[in-house]
Amino acid sequence: MTMDTQDTSYLESRRLVKRWAGPWPALANTAMIAVLFYVSWWIFQDPRGLMRMYTPYVGYMVCRWLLIMFIWLAYIFDFWPFRRGWLETTHPVIKGVVLTAASVAVMLVVIEGFFKGVLGNFGIAYFSPERLESLGITDFYAVEYASEAIMMFAAIASWLSPSWVVACENAPWQKLAQPARGLTVLVVTFFLGMIVYLLTMHSHMAILFYPWQEYTAITAPYWQKFANTVSGNFHIAWIMSCTVVVWVYETIWQRYPFNLIKTDWLRRTSAFFGIILVALCLCFFLFYAQDLVWGLNIRGTRREMAPDWRWLHVGEMAIFWLVGVLFLSFYGGNWPTKFSRPVNVLARTVISLAIGVAIYVAYYKTAHLFLGTQKGFSHPQQFPMIPTIWLINLFLINMWFMDGWPGWKAVPKTAEELEEAKSEIVAHDVTWTPKFARGLLFGAVAGAAAYTLVIAVLPWVGANVTLIR
Amino acid sequence: MSDKPLASRRDFVMGAATGVLGGALASMGLYSYTPMAYDRMPKPKRTGAEFGAVRSVKITNISETSWFNNAHLVGDIKDAGGLLVDQYTIGWAPFGNGKGPAKSSYDDGIAPIKAMLPNDLEAAWDIQTKRSIHPDNPGGFSTLIEVEDLDGSKHKYLLDVGWSYDWMLQSFKREAIDQMLAAGEIEALILTHEHFDHFWGLPVAMKFAPKIPMYIHNGFYKEGKRYIADSGYKGDPIVIDKELTQIRPGMMAIKFDVPIITRVYGEVSLAFNVKDKGLVLVSGCNHQGILQMTSTAYQKLKYDNDKFYGLYGGLHISPFEDWDPKYDDLVLSLGKWEFEKLGCNHCTGHLTAKKFVEAGYPVVKGSARFRTSSPDYLGNGDTIVFG
Repeated sequence: MTMDTQDTSYLESRRLVKRWAGPWPALANTAMIAVLFYVSWWIFQDPRGLMRMYTPYVGYMVCRWLLIMFIWLAYIFDFWPFRRGWLETTHPVIKGVVLTAASVAVMLVVIEGFFKGVLGNFGIAYFSPERLESLGITDFYAVEYASEAIMMFAAIASWLSPSWVVACENAPWQKLAQPARGLTVLVVTFFLGMIVYLLTMHSHMAILFYPWQEYTAITAPYWQKFANTVSGNFHIAWIMSCTVVVWVYETIWQRYPFNLIKTDWLRRTSAFFGIILVALCLCFFLFYAQDLVWGLNIRGTRREMAPDWRWLHVGEMAIFWLVGVLFLSFYGGNWPTKFSRPVNVLARTVISLAIGVAIYVAYYKTAHLFLGTQKGFSHPQQFPMIPTIWLINLFLINMWFMDGWPGWKAVPKTAEELEEAKSEIVAHDVTWTPKFARGLLFGAVAGAAAYTLVIAVLPWVGANVTLIR
Repeated sequence: MSDKPLASRRDFVMGAATGVLGGALASMGLYSYTPMAYDRMPKPKRTGAEFGAVRSVKITNISETSWFNNAHLVGDIKDAGGLLVDQYTIGWAPFGNGKGPAKSSYDDGIAPIKAMLPNDLEAAWDIQTKRSIHPDNPGGFSTLIEVEDLDGSKHKYLLDVGWSYDWMLQSFKREAIDQMLAAGEIEALILTHEHFDHFWGLPVAMKFAPKIPMYIHNGFYKEGKRYIADSGYKGDPIVIDKELTQIRPGMMAIKFDVPIITRVYGEVSLAFNVKDKGLVLVSGCNHQGILQMTSTAYQKLKYDNDKFYGLYGGLHISPFEDWDPKYDDLVLSLGKWEFEKLGCNHCTGHLTAKKFVEAGYPVVKGSARFRTSSPDYLGNGDTIVFG
């Protein structure tokens, strides 16, 4: 294994070219992913299948940590320790198998070694199923509780890890060679992740046990009055929204609008906190939308009327959008591309939202027929994020590890293309003019009007549209 | 021709596109989760259906011990693949096939015992103890409800039929349910839902009253419907397919459509309007959630004093002595409904009962007899009267 010193990442260094004209590449990849999804779902997750990891928390933990592994390998470590030459010459299927297997191996080390073995035995007992069992928890719930805690850490990492690459552009370590850069970003994001975990999830875990573990965590949690629940699902809502917005910003928004900022530090910090701000807007809207459709939430109840479930469902709805976003970006060629950048961004946002809503409707109408789950929005042991993240993982394997095979193939970018990509860090095609400002004002009013229309229509949707009979 | 107007228009459109996103996002963030946004939401309307009144409701807990060893039950679920696995495949009696966890099926389980149901239950259960996992663990949930009308006449109903044939035969005998069924004193059997511990003991009731009117939720799966016939039932179940179904004056069934663990769908609970006291709610497992039930009753029913008076049943909070912070939301919120009497047991969980008592709620203690493990709540053979 050699150190890669290229200053362009593998994903940025390649151009994916369609093997066939027309819609065939997208159709071929969609078909392949559909088959892979169902086969792998049956083998690993399905409650009627072989390994039945959808217990649910074991499967939930695994799919989330796999996502993190893929992000670490492709985005943070730029595929280190795999050599660039190997990535460029090996058949995509072999690469897909090897890189996925490597990710799974590292995932097992992280889950079994770090969380359960080290943290669970020498730090915080609830990360270790054995410790919990020895304290009197039944073996099933010992595994579930530990998996829940480990899974929650992954939720935070799924936001922070890519955010450091996408928003902060790996700064200030962007010039380091691999693996130094990857390790540094990993350690920093892991450290930040740990702080965020302690501030958001630790109290949730502490009140799982009787009596509340008030000497080791803040109980009742500080957010209960604001969120109308003591459940950490409140944090899942905004953190998952952050995860989704990072990828929206990276793919269909092409890092717009923060890439208009020329000053590096300002662009990076604006993007990092801007993502959080956009995610909070999305999060509060999706919660309010549920109240408008299903009626005011009732604290203490269960299922779709409960605030804790509605916060969770915020994250679930956001992930449905992410499926639409990634599909459009990966398999739809980030369509449209022919308009100006802001118009493309707006059009893609609307299209991906439409895809996300369509998948949401299809999921709740049909998932119980083929996923081994039950119909209904809220089930105490069902998490739509498991199949949706599982699907996203397959998208990432296909596009990052397999160069879009079979519909696409990777060709190295030319020097001009690489130069163009670098210059894209700051967008030069949108500039501030009086007309732009006037348009911005007009658009803002139109955007607010669109929002007003949506919240006016949602109660009607709740009263007249029955998704699940 | 100059490009200036074109560029100018292009700038305006780019600004407008950016503005639409920005305006929508800003509105979402600044308005959505604010008191102002919630002020404009319509308050839930109370439709308040009149359904008469009763003088009192007496509840006899025939059995609340659905299983005797929590670790075994949860371990079986774990071995089978978790909480979403179909209950008929787990390998529990009477649907075990001798192949171990998660390898069974309705057909495999019922085949060797079908001919014995409902008259030779001892032999059928004996066969199943050899084919199922942890055959000594099943118990069951079953309750006798005695309703006293305003004119003083009394009417009996059986709510659920438990699980183990062996245990339910003993429990029915202990409370003389077998005699009441055989004498036709019990007017109807109400099956709250399809779960193993509430439903699989059906042949025991059928042995004594195979023609008893039977109410079921319309979410029963095909295996459940077949089991009703295979258990020896000689009638047509009354399928509850409306949210509110009046059983008799002052007694209403409320249907909830909720997906439930181990592939069960839907639950029916009961509401009684006790004259001059208020509403009493009775549930089998309450998978819909207590406050979902109280909210539905609050909106849909009219009852004396506009007051919630009593609550009885499995309240499905920590059935496996597990916990989740959202259950604390319930413990913190239940007080505002001001129940005067809380009779709970079974899937409520001992931990929940403890937390209810700590929160100052009027939980009625039990006598811890007949294998009920603690007096935290009403146990087997205990009674509670509302009215």
